[in-house]
Amino acid sequence: MSELALALRDIHKRFGATVALEGARCLVRPGTVHALLGENGAGKTTLMRIAFGMLHADSGTLERDGRAVRFGHERDAIAAGVGMVHQHFMLIPAFTVAENAALGGRGHLDRAATAERIRRIGASTGLAVDADARVRDLPVGAQQRAEILRALMQDARLLILDEPTAVLTPLESDELYGWMRRFTASGGTIVLITHKLREALAVADEVTVLRRGRTMLEGRADEISESALVTAIVGEGAPRAEEAPRGRSSGAAVFTLDGASWADAQGVLRLSPTTLTVRAGEILGVLGVEGAGQRELLRLLAGRLSPTAGLVVRPDRVGFIPEDRLHDAVIPDFSLTENHALAEASRLDRLVPWARHAAATSAILESYDVRTTGPAAIMATLSGGNQQRFVAGRERQRAPQALVAENPTRGLDVRATARVLDAVRDVAAQGGAAVVYSADLDEILAMTQRVVVCFGGRVTDVAPPLDPADRSPYARALLGLGA
Amino acid sequence: MIELLLVPFLEAAVRTATPLAFAALGELVAERAGVINLGLEGTIIAGCLGGAAGALLGGPALGFAGAALAGMLIASVFALFVVRIGTDQIITGTALTLLGLGITGTVFHVAPAVVGAGQVIPTTGPIAIPGLSAVPILGTALFRQPLATYALYLLVPALAWWMGRTHAGLALRAVGESPEAAAAAGLSPRRIRTVAILFSGLMGGLCGGTLVLAQVGAFNEGMSAGRGFIAIAIVVLGRWTPLGTAGAALVFGGAFALQYLFQSLGSSLPYQLFLALPYVLTLVLLAALRGRAAAPARLGR
Repeated sequence: MSELALALRDIHKRFGATVALEGARCLVRPGTVHALLGENGAGKTTLMRIAFGMLHADSGTLERDGRAVRFGHERDAIAAGVGMVHQHFMLIPAFTVAENAALGGRGHLDRAATAERIRRIGASTGLAVDADARVRDLPVGAQQRAEILRALMQDARLLILDEPTAVLTPLESDELYGWMRRFTASGGTIVLITHKLREALAVADEVTVLRRGRTMLEGRADEISESALVTAIVGEGAPRAEEAPRGRSSGAAVFTLDGASWADAQGVLRLSPTTLTVRAGEILGVLGVEGAGQRELLRLLAGRLSPTAGLVVRPDRVGFIPEDRLHDAVIPDFSLTENHALAEASRLDRLVPWARHAAATSAILESYDVRTTGPAAIMATLSGGNQQRFVAGRERQRAPQALVAENPTRGLDVRATARVLDAVRDVAAQGGAAVVYSADLDEILAMTQRVVVCFGGRVTDVAPPLDPADRSPYARALLGLGA
Repeated sequence: MIELLLVPFLEAAVRTATPLAFAALGELVAERAGVINLGLEGTIIAGCLGGAAGALLGGPALGFAGAALAGMLIASVFALFVVRIGTDQIITGTALTLLGLGITGTVFHVAPAVVGAGQVIPTTGPIAIPGLSAVPILGTALFRQPLATYALYLLVPALAWWMGRTHAGLALRAVGESPEAAAAAGLSPRRIRTVAILFSGLMGGLCGGTLVLAQVGAFNEGMSAGRGFIAIAIVVLGRWTPLGTAGAALVFGGAFALQYLFQSLGSSLPYQLFLALPYVLTLVLLAALRGRAAAPARLGR
């Protein structure tokens, strides 16, 4: 038996109070495509950044080709023949492909020779890219090929690809898979970080599944069933007694999307044309892995984005609890009262009624159980849970009939979670409409009547399964396997 | 008649451009690494002082060495704060400029002997290059200049070649565009930025040294006279390239020379108008060249 190309054992890693990895293991045999699967935040990227020397493990061992190694810096990993293609490319947009590829070298820079080498490697691998083109002028698929070529020029024999197909068209993805097979056939090794189950099963020889920083499952891809993988990725998720009844509300439409879509400044369609109605008394649950389009969907509903095509009908006032409250919802250095007044900061026609804001802030502290010294406290001095309860209370107060919440319980403990979710439920209970996205499938199923799943910018209505304990339709849609 | 005006004008343009080009080329290197060194003015005045003190001790050669050392000293403080401690570049640079002006002014008043107040500072005069200096009109302007100017003739193409044709130059530009990408390629952005800042200090110091040892022949309080800030504008006008920066420095040298020219013609206009010329030129050229941004993506961050 040959030595392992890469072995990470019992890896622990914390970021402050957050535990990212708790004894994770990943054993990669040479000449294989090894899929590293898991949900958002499962620790996949963190584990591989440790393997690439970008991060340092708190404890655990790392072996390359059977020898124990310590990578203090990316260059140590590069010297050991490890390359990494990051999800957000590490290319310099203002440089040409050749200049990017030459980066990190020494001595005289021979552009012609570098360009020639890129052409040669491109020809032998099928990863063709114009060596003299500026990276910012290239489409993402070509940028990715450039990044892979760069790693190959640094003589990488083990290549870590972080969600490589997230930005590719199906045809480009197929070309990438083809190259991956050729690379491993010639003795190279690939670690493929992905949350797409079908992709992993189609291309990988072996699989490791991470869940909440631990290795849940490992083995040969052709010996593991799809359902076992799904269970390992999303967990058993015992059905909850208080689960909300499935079905559609018959109330008046509060939110209506009619073929609404959104494209970014580069013209990339982030949300495909979507038609959707959320009615009074209804809570719509939204599921989706990172970058699947839910961010754009929620912002269209909340009025933070305007559709690039199609129509969005929504109430004048929509409460919005964004995922990143410190950047999108509050100003940390302002007092609670000032942060309350911010919600009406666009009104320039009169003086700020501070007394009214202070009274309203006190009311929120009371009814949402925000634990602090009073309305004059500085936002930054509150704990995350208290900040989030304040935001939930403020948005409820501002727009009692419509609320959009984006992963509102992220990072909160049980008590804070319950209070924030109550705020969402109250909207529907009082005849309004709420839309809530959460990374936690159980949370969504527990509180919503209807669930849509985002995948690759498309929004799919998922029919409730006959057996309420059956999570597989949601998990399959989340992982791009269809209903 | 034309020659009588043109030759002194061109000679003065190149002479005035020389210290500006030193400072601007140093700033260029720092900015390509993503560092805007507003402490440049402070390194220049420190270079003036170091140059005067060194020259008094051991002649012009030691003067230039003292100028370079003094500039690098200020720059090393800047590097310590900005790269190691991570303070804001603008605020740190401004503080060092004020500090440099303050310390040199204090030395000038407290220990005038150190900087040679009232003494003759040994200086370098112009050296005519045989043959070339006899070329009509341009000969005197380009080839009857102090040694420092000739050093620039070599440095500018060398810097252009280094930035474009060596891996080290590529690494410098990469850090100014994306320190993360540079780190991912195995480079150390902090080390590269530190070296770039020290180089800008060296060049800023030499700017001050040239002022004292090749032009004025004395140290005066505040004699850097805003050259650090003009040098920063020169880098912008030069589109962050060595050749462009050298050209822009020459344009500014010309603006200063034009001011001498108008004054010597005995124009009836108030001379303050001519003094304003280089600064008006800065604003006009910046406005004219706007939008063609070539600035390093991570400049100042």
